[in-house]
Amino acid sequence: MPDLNITCEPRGDGLTFLTAEGFLDAHTFEKMEKTINALFDEGKYKLVVGLEKLDYISSAGAGVFIGAIGVAQENNGNLVLLNPTPNVKEVFDLLGLTQIFPIVGSEAEATAFFG
Amino acid sequence: MGAAIHREICVTNETENLHKVREFVSAAVQDSAVPREEQNKVILAVDEAVANVMEHAYEGTLGGSIRVRIESDERRFEVLIRDHGRRFDPGRIVDPDIEAHVRAGRKNGLGVFLMRQIMDKVDYDFRDEAENRLTLVKFLGADR
Repeated sequence: MPDLNITCEPRGDGLTFLTAEGFLDAHTFEKMEKTINALFDEGKYKLVVGLEKLDYISSAGAGVFIGAIGVAQENNGNLVLLNPTPNVKEVFDLLGLTQIFPIVGSEAEATAFFG
Repeated sequence: MGAAIHREICVTNETENLHKVREFVSAAVQDSAVPREEQNKVILAVDEAVANVMEHAYEGTLGGSIRVRIESDERRFEVLIRDHGRRFDPGRIVDPDIEAHVRAGRKNGLGVFLMRQIMDKVDYDFRDEAENRLTLVKFLGADR
């Protein structure tokens, strides 16, 4: 069954890089939500989510990031999307989220974003 | 490509079945006259519709049936989604102000908006006080 795999890599500069691989939909979104909430519980609010291996996202998946970005920003952090696949980028475009979420093309850009 | 299509799948309302629906729609859309650049969006629109049924129609009871029927020809790609759960008219859902939606941290309520963004028609009917019938239509060719 298509699933969602998440890896999580804290960096020394206070940033946490996540990568999402597979399918982020109404079946798998809770896995991403729990991962992000666990990072928030640890006081990690500067998140970079790598989407270059994410094949599919629906509104339930995008909703996880919508719910998280405000919490991150309120705690002097942010949620940056890294390299979304064309399919995933298209969904963010349709929802009007590309104007709201920081989207970068490389890890260096993500690091620079947090300055 | 573009030959007449008549196909139906029946799944139960566990969200793990969403991928079966996507694969069913994906196969049909590839055999249809839906332009390549629109195909993933049509799959997404159906996924959103079926996910709504899975999450809301049967009020937490699993095993509820959902039928998805696809009829397509050179003029349209039409998807009929039927269930016998709680009445739900997506026409009553107002399109969100996305900036306010994000500011409020609202995680839900975007599926119907996506369906409307992607499909040319989103029609709802509650037949015989028993069956939700949601029809999604994408017009093709000269009818676009």
